[in-house]
Amino acid sequence: MTGTIIWMLFLLFALVALNVPIAIALAIVAAGAMVLTQGPEVLPNVALVMYDGATSFSLLAIPLFIFAGAIMNATGISRRLIAFASALVGFIRGGLAMVSIVTSMFFAEMSGSAVADVAALGTILAPAMKKTGYPRQFAAAVLSSAATIAVIIPPSIPMILYAVMAESSVVKLFLAGVVPGVLVGLLMMLLSYWFARRHNYPVAEAFEWRKLWRTFKEASWSFLLPVVILGSIFGGLVTATEGAGLAVVTALIVGGVIYRELRWSDLRKAMLEGAVSTAVVMLLVASSALLGSYLTELRVPQKLAEAIMGITENRYVILALLNLCFLVLGCFLHSAAAIILVVPIVMPLIHAAGIDPVHFGIVVTLNLGIGQQTPPVASVLITACSVAQAEIWEVTKVNVYFVGVIFLVLMLCTYVPSIPMWPVYLFYGG
Amino acid sequence: MISSFKRVFQRVLEAWVILLMFSLTAVVVGAVVFRKMGHSLGWADEIARVLLAWVTYYGSALAALKRAHIGFPGLLERFSPRGRVPLVLLGEIFVIGFFLLMAWVGMEVYRILEGDTLVSLTWLPLRLTQSVIPVGAALFVMAQLLSLPEALRTPRIREPETHSQVPPGSSEEATP
Repeated sequence: MTGTIIWMLFLLFALVALNVPIAIALAIVAAGAMVLTQGPEVLPNVALVMYDGATSFSLLAIPLFIFAGAIMNATGISRRLIAFASALVGFIRGGLAMVSIVTSMFFAEMSGSAVADVAALGTILAPAMKKTGYPRQFAAAVLSSAATIAVIIPPSIPMILYAVMAESSVVKLFLAGVVPGVLVGLLMMLLSYWFARRHNYPVAEAFEWRKLWRTFKEASWSFLLPVVILGSIFGGLVTATEGAGLAVVTALIVGGVIYRELRWSDLRKAMLEGAVSTAVVMLLVASSALLGSYLTELRVPQKLAEAIMGITENRYVILALLNLCFLVLGCFLHSAAAIILVVPIVMPLIHAAGIDPVHFGIVVTLNLGIGQQTPPVASVLITACSVAQAEIWEVTKVNVYFVGVIFLVLMLCTYVPSIPMWPVYLFYGG
Repeated sequence: MISSFKRVFQRVLEAWVILLMFSLTAVVVGAVVFRKMGHSLGWADEIARVLLAWVTYYGSALAALKRAHIGFPGLLERFSPRGRVPLVLLGEIFVIGFFLLMAWVGMEVYRILEGDTLVSLTWLPLRLTQSVIPVGAALFVMAQLLSLPEALRTPRIREPETHSQVPPGSSEEATP
């Protein structure tokens, strides 16, 4: 068995080095191993396992949340949220940095994607920050790290993927993401304030109650979206997938009927965005179903669990090892790929060590949130740098402080499970 | 000639994918509305899953045309444009070879499934729902070939349509 695993890994690395898409590299390796061990008559099964891998009901939430987020981007919702956040916290020193963080926290409740978040908000906020005297590397760092809140505060696409891979509850994961997400946001605001005092960054605007009320009224329909999405899911009225469907309808009504800013070309673009982004992730899921079925046949996850449990049964040591593994992987792999590759293999270990899969899901999400900020593969950081026209390594020197904040929350959530888990215990008992 | 064929191919594929996304949303939302009205649609879950698989396969072909699948171009980028050509071609052989195999196997699956139907809609043959395997694979091969000239010029994967508001070349990755 070890020989098979070694050549599979070698072929996988070789194909990825040739820039073969990771999803296809996985499928080639798994299909090759199955044909070698079971003969070519297994090939129809290969096609059917991949097809079945792309048909989970929970995964239906992914295209719908992406689609809803794209509609929101196209209908001026981000502009209204920024205006409200600016009236709310813009009077504090370093106010525009805080506006980025507060808006990201609002936006996170509607969109599950950090790249979409930084693209939508960064194009407005990065020029504004530069114009008012913020260094561009600071602007890019704040936008980039704040956008990661999108994958921590529900709804979150990595959490949906994790839930399917770990056979865990999406709704419980969403609940467990609330406290860490808010904590990351508040700590980042404190850090921004410290930076602003130290470097004398400007105040964005004077505080006015009248302006706050006016921008609140203008953005009020936007606030309806998280109420509909999260209220209906947490209230038990609909599943996460159905909540995603309702998010699309609400976004269409708010953008098209109330704000009247949704054009057919925007809707067409949003549907294509939903479809292509979904296909990219789902092809990975389909390939991983194939690889998963082969590795399960070899009992690789169970053997890995037995080997590690033979060394230590201490769940905190196991969590530390897994944190290290995900932090390293996050530097080189896209978060979807990391979840799909690693989670099914380590789940038997998680169960054997008595770790709650929902708790582990939050640990994984925070790890991969850091991974979005750490080069060379750092989707969100690279997008933020491009928007702010800043150099990646210069931004990273500032961003390391903000990544430190996410790391601090990761450590808190890893070793004090009640921090993320108390809303879950509140709703479901613990 | 090739570029105009590519344009038509892309337009047709986009129109089909948009129709699938619209149908997927309508089925999921319709199922909630009908359930709340006390009339559950027994077929909605199964059809929604089929539509998701179709979005995956047809959307994957569209993503291949835009070279938006997640990869790792870092190593190839270190080679000179001329030096990377044989490596890019070698990678292409693996990708195209795999999907040609899947198209052939998909036809075999099509033959095996004769007479089988969906569980909730017994008039809908599985041959139709699973036809996406050979058709999607064939479309993937076409998309890969049509986008090959550009891939030879630069191995960096492109953003999908969706992040077009971000300046070009901004991100190495396409998804959430």
